[in-house]
Amino acid sequence: MSGQWFLFSVDLLALFGIYLALNLSLRLQLGYTGIANFGLVLAFTGGAYVGGWLPIRLGMWLVEVDPSLADDMIWNNVIIASQVDLSLHGSPGTAMTILLITLLAAGAAGALLGLQSGYPAVRLGGDYLAISLLAFGEVLAIIGNNYDPVVGGPLGVRIPDVWAWAGDWRFMAASLANCALALGVWLYLDSIEKSPMGRMLRAIRDNPDAASSLGKNVARVRLNVMVTGGIICGLAGAMYTLYTTGVAPSALSRFDWTFLPWVMVVFGGSGSNVGVLIGTFTFILVQKLIISYKFALSFLPFDPVWLQFLLMGLVLILVLNFRPSGLVTEKASYALSRREMAKAAGKESL
Amino acid sequence: MASFIDALTYSALLGLMGFGLTLIRRTTGVWNVAHGEVVTIGSYVALTATSFLAHSPYFYLPLAFLVCAGVSGIIFLAGVEPIRAKGASSILLLVVTIAISLIMIAVINIYADYLQNVFHLSSKNFLFARFDFTLLGQMGILWAAWAALAALTISYYLVLQHTRLGLALRALAEQPTLAVVMGANVKSLSLLSWCLAGGAAGLAGCLFPMRFQCHPGVGTSMIATMFAVSIFGGIEKMYGPLLAGLVLGFAQIYGIDLLSSWVGPGVIPFKDLIPMIVLLLTLQFLPEGLSGFVGRRRG
Repeated sequence: MSGQWFLFSVDLLALFGIYLALNLSLRLQLGYTGIANFGLVLAFTGGAYVGGWLPIRLGMWLVEVDPSLADDMIWNNVIIASQVDLSLHGSPGTAMTILLITLLAAGAAGALLGLQSGYPAVRLGGDYLAISLLAFGEVLAIIGNNYDPVVGGPLGVRIPDVWAWAGDWRFMAASLANCALALGVWLYLDSIEKSPMGRMLRAIRDNPDAASSLGKNVARVRLNVMVTGGIICGLAGAMYTLYTTGVAPSALSRFDWTFLPWVMVVFGGSGSNVGVLIGTFTFILVQKLIISYKFALSFLPFDPVWLQFLLMGLVLILVLNFRPSGLVTEKASYALSRREMAKAAGKESL
Repeated sequence: MASFIDALTYSALLGLMGFGLTLIRRTTGVWNVAHGEVVTIGSYVALTATSFLAHSPYFYLPLAFLVCAGVSGIIFLAGVEPIRAKGASSILLLVVTIAISLIMIAVINIYADYLQNVFHLSSKNFLFARFDFTLLGQMGILWAAWAALAALTISYYLVLQHTRLGLALRALAEQPTLAVVMGANVKSLSLLSWCLAGGAAGLAGCLFPMRFQCHPGVGTSMIATMFAVSIFGGIEKMYGPLLAGLVLGFAQIYGIDLLSSWVGPGVIPFKDLIPMIVLLLTLQFLPEGLSGFVGRRRG
């Protein structure tokens, strides 16, 4: 494989891991619980801001850096990050400490944002909930763009590379870590698939009044799901920032981190992890190919990147028209295996 | 004084944008995320017409109204109605309008790129202030925006209260199933609402660059504010967007100007947070919106 294709594949893998984690969080909220979270970008941005703010400060604290640079962390961020990087090259332990603390903080920020946006919104029904979450999603972008101490305002900041110790395998290590996050979320969703909790979430999704009449606190369960979803989004945001070693509020748009995940999940099917995986991989691949072959289309009198929007919109319309449940539909989930059901019924087999 | 006039102008434009959103939600139960892009199309109709045919953008207000009414009608017929006819939920219809929004973002940007690359027009950032006139010592945009909003709101109110069409529209908004049973042509009425809403957005889009900078993402970036206008105004009465536009427009421009004179200019960039805060407070304490609250007090 040529170097160019290797980099393409590794970057594809990295983005795939991030988006899969984010999309599985949407599956938890939409597919399981029926919460139309159009504010995914909020918790993702929160995690990304933590990833942009915390590692450089932890780096200054853990490794030897000229202390005078701390007088203006934003102005000096490139110098500080470079100095920290030099130390992290030979110190994977320090790098992993920074990574773990950052992830913990990003998860906490995501939980807080999930709680903050969910608390007022969770009692609302259907489209009102969706619209309010869509609006709340803009809040951090406005703050990040206009308040420099967070992540340097519109120009953003560079952060230390916690994967620097991996040398030439830095991108591969970061990509695999992103995929590990997605795998963790996948296993979590898989574990609740056949659990009482999974059935309760689906009951709330399908008929909240009936679930409520059976003693389930619908608002509280929805809030818990939004907090859990927020944690996942926050972690994904931080991992994305740590992968790119920089963060700028303009890169955290509603299109990239709310609408695109929705297109992927609706395309693949919100009722199945496999569907979400297929949707995620398809659109990440298309996006990467359009960006990679952008220059081959330079004869067009417009920026070819807009073709991606056109394609996504058209695909979404077609899917909603002809297969609204997505490519992979939800399968019935049974509390007992077929063998256990047969045993309970006193038969050899069902 | 300048910020007071700006606030008045901005309020009317917000009211026009919110009018369409409220009308669509009220009559067809859909929150149209693509409404922002329809506003942008109004701006580009004005840009194209003034660039190639000369004259003031005011001259092209009817054209912007018609083009955007047509676009909105096509969105309804080609995008929303086929899925709505299958009994889709309000959330699914919202996702449909997101898909349409993505397509329109692409088309608008491709068109803006084309204007810039082929005709060398400044299509990524434009302002029509040079075309404006003065009336009674104030800019023409102030009068034009309020005249458009008042004309739309009053004529819609008169149609709603005094014609058979209005009766059918009210029935559609309040009891869609009953309206069908009574013989109302729901599809035609819904189409009419979408066209009227698109027309209002077109007027707002055509007028917006007379005072404020315009770019391909202008409507997209304002959609959250438009939702705030619609929800804060309440969807029960069509004068809701007018009231909400006034409150939010003043809060975002005049209010923030006053606040900055007390606490310093650092607060100015955060003016876009105001609609979100208002939305949050509305959903918590005034879910029926301003018009619902006024109606309840009267009742």
